[in-house]
Amino acid sequence: MPRLLGVDIPNDRVAEVSLTYLYGVGPKTARDLCRKAGVDPRKLARELVEDELGRLAALLERDYTVEGPLRRQVNQNISRLRDISCYRGQRHRRGLPVRGQRTRTNARTRKGPRKTVAGKKGVKDLR
Amino acid sequence: MSRSLKKGPYVDPKVFRKVQLQIESSRNEPITTWARSCTVVPEFVGRTFMVHNGKIHVKVFITEDMVGHKLGEFSPTRTFRGHGGKGGKK
Repeated sequence: MPRLLGVDIPNDRVAEVSLTYLYGVGPKTARDLCRKAGVDPRKLARELVEDELGRLAALLERDYTVEGPLRRQVNQNISRLRDISCYRGQRHRRGLPVRGQRTRTNARTRKGPRKTVAGKKGVKDLR
Repeated sequence: MSRSLKKGPYVDPKVFRKVQLQIESSRNEPITTWARSCTVVPEFVGRTFMVHNGKIHVKVFITEDMVGHKLGEFSPTRTFRGHGGKGGKK
């Protein structure tokens, strides 16, 4: 399996798809990368030659923030929001949705698995 | 460039005037305001604002990181006191 930027080893898919296994590289960026590096996007990743990989890596290194540095950047942005105790920061701290979504129902991605409250009954039972 | 960028940040004129006056006279006392939608600009750094949250004025000390946010973002309008409690509802 080819290695790009150290740890990442995209598998035997076409170059265009394989690149999206990198954190911070989506379909769009992958296509751009192939074009800029002069790599056939339909070529299987395992068939990529050293030279092509080198060019891709160089491009990523120079023009893109991916993997570790990108993760760090995202975390820094969040911790900045936390530190200034603004509304968005508070939402991050509490693990609730940050962008004004409803929380009466849904919001399970942020809130995690449902925590059932014992003894709480439906509205009908209260009457 | 999005439309909102073209229009530039909204800075409440009254608040801004007060800040300017304070800079000129090098005073630094809390500025009481209701203008929650006012953007924090670099001139505000190091000043204290009393931002209304609908009930009281919350003290907000502006640091460099807060530039670009709105004053209201630092003055929460809701108090969450937790769900349930002893025995829950009857």
